[in-house]
Amino acid sequence: MKLEIKKIIENFSLPRIIVFLFLLFLLILTPFSGLRFDSTINDIIVRFGMNGVLVLSLIPMVKSGCGLNFGLQLSIIPGLLGAIISIEMGLRNFIGFFAAIGIAIFFAVISGYLYGLLLNKVKGNEMVVATYVGFSIVSFMCIMWLLLPFKSTDMIWPYGGTGLRPTISNKGYWFNILTDFLKINIGEYLVIPTGNILFFALLALLLWGFFRTKLGTSIAITGINADYARSCGINIDNMRIISVIVSTIIGAIGIIVYQESFGFIQLYLGPLYMSFPAIAAILIGGATVDKASISNVIIGVLLFQGISAAAPSVVNNLLKHDIAEPLRIVITNGMIVYALTRVVRSR
Amino acid sequence: MTKQIIIRIIFISLLLILGIFLYISGKEHTIFIDNKEITLNDTTYRANSDYKVWIDNKELKVIKKGERGLTKVTGTNHKIMVEKISDKVLTGEKHEMRFRLKMNEKIIIINLPAMINNADEWLIKQIN
Amino acid sequence: MRNNNLTKRSVGKIINVLLNNTVPIVILLILVFAIPLSNLSGTFIIREIVTRLSRNLFLILSLIIPVLAGMGMNFSIVLGAMSAQIAIIFITDWGIIGIQGVLLAILISTPIAILLGFFAGIILNKAKGKEMVTGFMLSFFVNGIYQIFVLFIMGSLIPISNSEILLDKGYGIRNTINLIGIRQVLDNLIAFDIKGVRIPILLFLIIGLLCIFIIWFKKTKLGHEINTVGQDNDISAYMGINVGKIRILSIVISTILACYGQIIFLQNIGTLTVYDSHIQVGVFTIAAILVGGASVTSANIGNAIIGAILFHAMFVVSPLAGKTLIGNAQIGEYFRVFISYGVIAFSLAVYAWRERIEEKRDEITKGNEI
Repeated sequence: MKLEIKKIIENFSLPRIIVFLFLLFLLILTPFSGLRFDSTINDIIVRFGMNGVLVLSLIPMVKSGCGLNFGLQLSIIPGLLGAIISIEMGLRNFIGFFAAIGIAIFFAVISGYLYGLLLNKVKGNEMVVATYVGFSIVSFMCIMWLLLPFKSTDMIWPYGGTGLRPTISNKGYWFNILTDFLKINIGEYLVIPTGNILFFALLALLLWGFFRTKLGTSIAITGINADYARSCGINIDNMRIISVIVSTIIGAIGIIVYQESFGFIQLYLGPLYMSFPAIAAILIGGATVDKASISNVIIGVLLFQGISAAAPSVVNNLLKHDIAEPLRIVITNGMIVYALTRVVRSR
Repeated sequence: MTKQIIIRIIFISLLLILGIFLYISGKEHTIFIDNKEITLNDTTYRANSDYKVWIDNKELKVIKKGERGLTKVTGTNHKIMVEKISDKVLTGEKHEMRFRLKMNEKIIIINLPAMINNADEWLIKQIN
Repeated sequence: MRNNNLTKRSVGKIINVLLNNTVPIVILLILVFAIPLSNLSGTFIIREIVTRLSRNLFLILSLIIPVLAGMGMNFSIVLGAMSAQIAIIFITDWGIIGIQGVLLAILISTPIAILLGFFAGIILNKAKGKEMVTGFMLSFFVNGIYQIFVLFIMGSLIPISNSEILLDKGYGIRNTINLIGIRQVLDNLIAFDIKGVRIPILLFLIIGLLCIFIIWFKKTKLGHEINTVGQDNDISAYMGINVGKIRILSIVISTILACYGQIIFLQNIGTLTVYDSHIQVGVFTIAAILVGGASVTSANIGNAIIGAILFHAMFVVSPLAGKTLIGNAQIGEYFRVFISYGVIAFSLAVYAWRERIEEKRDEITKGNEI
């Protein structure tokens, strides 16, 4: 009996259980802290829709052996470009939304290809190089945001200033276009963003299907054992590049979905640390540096966003202290540190 | 083994003593100097003239009748010296007192009239 | 014939030197253009560099020992900075000023730094091969704990009597703390001016002592063990060296040095931003030493000094150079950030790429042997 419990704990990993119990604890406390239970659930579901695709984008790179995508910023920037170009062109509603995605994919393919080439040159050290390449690109784009010739009055500094504003609202363009699509109202506080969830499900399905194709399986084999893949005649370098391009495309779509729900496009140093919550989420969901699946994404995002949604309000109301922000930092980064300390089997 | 432990204990004790020394000698205290009238034990001391003040041989500004001056010192042992000023000129009439400060006495109020007249409570210590 | 071979070898050597020192050379080239563009006077630049050197060199030097132990760039020097800040909050609360304040801060912060360094060392031992990423994420993690400590525990569970440094709600420390009590204490103790440039002699003496300490340390038995561990873990274990302990020790020493370095930094600046000061320490210090030609596997005092000079020169010059070049001073500031991150990314990439090439070469030679 004891052995079985031990096995279950190992399978599910202790930190994940702790996080799950903590979330349960928070949810149980919600009514007692003066908050509505259904509004908290609403929060969690909305956040899931917001962040799901971004976390989904991590899967291809993990599967091909490139590790966790600490350079998520390289997927986010194409997405940002897509979004602002779509607004610059004045496109609204679904046209604007899908135009943003389309343009983003264009940039994502280029960015993904270059990123993939780089990662191939630094095999074994992808994560740390990616982190700093990501930071450098974000700061480089800061310069670009100031210089690029955008004209839309919703985006540039007023009174004839130059350069884009740090935060650009997409209200009136395609804000909530997906979230409100086919939304289901349950009571006054609970609105299920069906559009978002369907979109996530669609992409997840496409990804799942992709990995069932010959190309997808080749990528997966590359990640499991590069030598074996080579002996099967698979060009591992190409497989890795393709996986990076796929990751980048999904990531670019992901940030647009995020903005669609959030209401703002964040430029300059906004995207600097955006890779960490996504990575923490997939790790909490059970993924490791070399293994990730769609269920990891779903569980992880629900748990991580669950705590992000529930903790601030509940803890603040109960303890009368605002411990939410540091707590989130501790959990996010603690998960990543924990995952990094787990022994990786050699490739 | 025990020799190592003893050496370690001595070392740590020395550090603790050093720490205490640094604390006491480095602690800053605020000193207010009042040239104001004060009543102590049914005796009233009046502020009659302006005084120039030295704390620990460091020159401060002149404190006029009814004024309050302020300075900060560090450590425990200090002395205050004042010289009476009459018609804007130093008269050579000096008074000097020494005082010791403890760690938790952050704010000190020295009353000049009381000090000049060698009253007992010329210096009031305020804890925290 | 002989002459041809000699020239070939010397050219080969020059190319090697260039390759090994790509980063400093690139930065030097940037500076050659940027300095005239910025319209800053030579005296101003020199004065700024001297001040920043005296302020930051100690921190930069603290990165050397973990590199010797094969642990790469120690991103968790941030933990040392946090220890320093906690100690400084205490001495400010107690009102200890002057040199006593600085010494007491050193005294109090050391055990904290040892503890945090030890914790970091243990975690890094569990992440062999991924020390840099782990150290980087660890610094964020401990930062969260530090924030909880300073924002909630200080002022409530740990009594703080100085209300000036507390937040309005009665507990938790304010972000900006004036360190007027210990401001420039070490700077001014021994210093003199040359042509309008103030040189804090004592600080440079302290830095010099650290350099001598590092040189001496490398020659001790412990230093040799650290070197061996850095070269090859397996051979070291075979030789009876406790690899794990040596790695932890190197991180602890680095954390303690970083802690003292942060105290020097803070007493020079005179203000403590409780929630910010330590965060940039990691990035800028590492960028500086990399600019000086250090790499993940090798770092020496020369790298630290050259890197400090080049990096700080670039730091001072870029905002104004950016303004002259493009008309926007903000670009210069972003350029600064870009260079910092970019230098680290570039160095890490070059190092990783080199590692790959050597691995491939070993594979091929192994293949040939069979």
